[in-house]
Amino acid sequence: MSNELLDILSNNNDKINNQKLIDYVNGNLSDIEKHEVEKWMSDHDMVNDAVEGLEHLKNKKNLQTYVEQLNKNLQNQLAQKKQHQQKRKFKEYPWIYFAISLVLLLCIIGYIIIRKFLHTGGF
Amino acid sequence: MLERYTLLLFGVCMKYLKNEEEAKDAVQQIFYKVIVEIEKYKVNYFKSWIYMIAKNHCLMTLRKRHENVTIEANEKLLFSDTNVNEYTYFENELTFDSIHEALLELKKEQKQCITLFFLEKRSYHEIADRTGFTLMQVKSHIQNGKRNLKLILEKKLKHE
Repeated sequence: MSNELLDILSNNNDKINNQKLIDYVNGNLSDIEKHEVEKWMSDHDMVNDAVEGLEHLKNKKNLQTYVEQLNKNLQNQLAQKKQHQQKRKFKEYPWIYFAISLVLLLCIIGYIIIRKFLHTGGF
Repeated sequence: MLERYTLLLFGVCMKYLKNEEEAKDAVQQIFYKVIVEIEKYKVNYFKSWIYMIAKNHCLMTLRKRHENVTIEANEKLLFSDTNVNEYTYFENELTFDSIHEALLELKKEQKQCITLFFLEKRSYHEIADRTGFTLMQVKSHIQNGKRNLKLILEKKLKHE
């Protein structure tokens, strides 16, 4: 009883368990598990809103597919962002790439000149 | 890390927009916003931050649709009292007796729902069946009961 009283005021249950939420919305949980999810809802407005929203879905069985689809799109977005960042990096620091190219070019020219001198017996 | 929130975001968007396709689009746009914005700010509570972005995005979409969003805002007030770690400081200060006393000061329906939910660990449906309240009323009595309990206990602590 004492711990339950403190439970009213504590918000410690912060673990996100998506599968349990999907099962809750589909009505596949036992009473104890239902209470666990509802305790989680009462502690977190976001979870409460999410469950209310998911209950509006016409086809709740497809929920996992929707989530997988959205995650796939997220991965694409992240990949695009990474690509964009790499391009931006090049645009932001062109002098670094210019300096590296210049050093490489000088090395090649130096190598060619030395080789030429060695062949003609210039040294 | 974002993938952990996909389901929650989709649910939140569904709650406000009430349309599957629009909710899916909204989730993608929220992801984009998060990816761009996260570099600009120091985010301490990621979940609260992403929730705020999602709600704002949905309310903006509703405004574009010229829908009356004040109903949503009012409804939100009903459930806006719980924040992460908000109550933790209480745990050291309060005795079980003081919580029990505060519980007795709640309105009858709030006390009934809080007792059934937290002390007897009943689900919303069971409470609705037992009390005759609707599911929304049960949720509301629990949320408001929690908020009022906190207010009563705050007052008690100030007086001590």
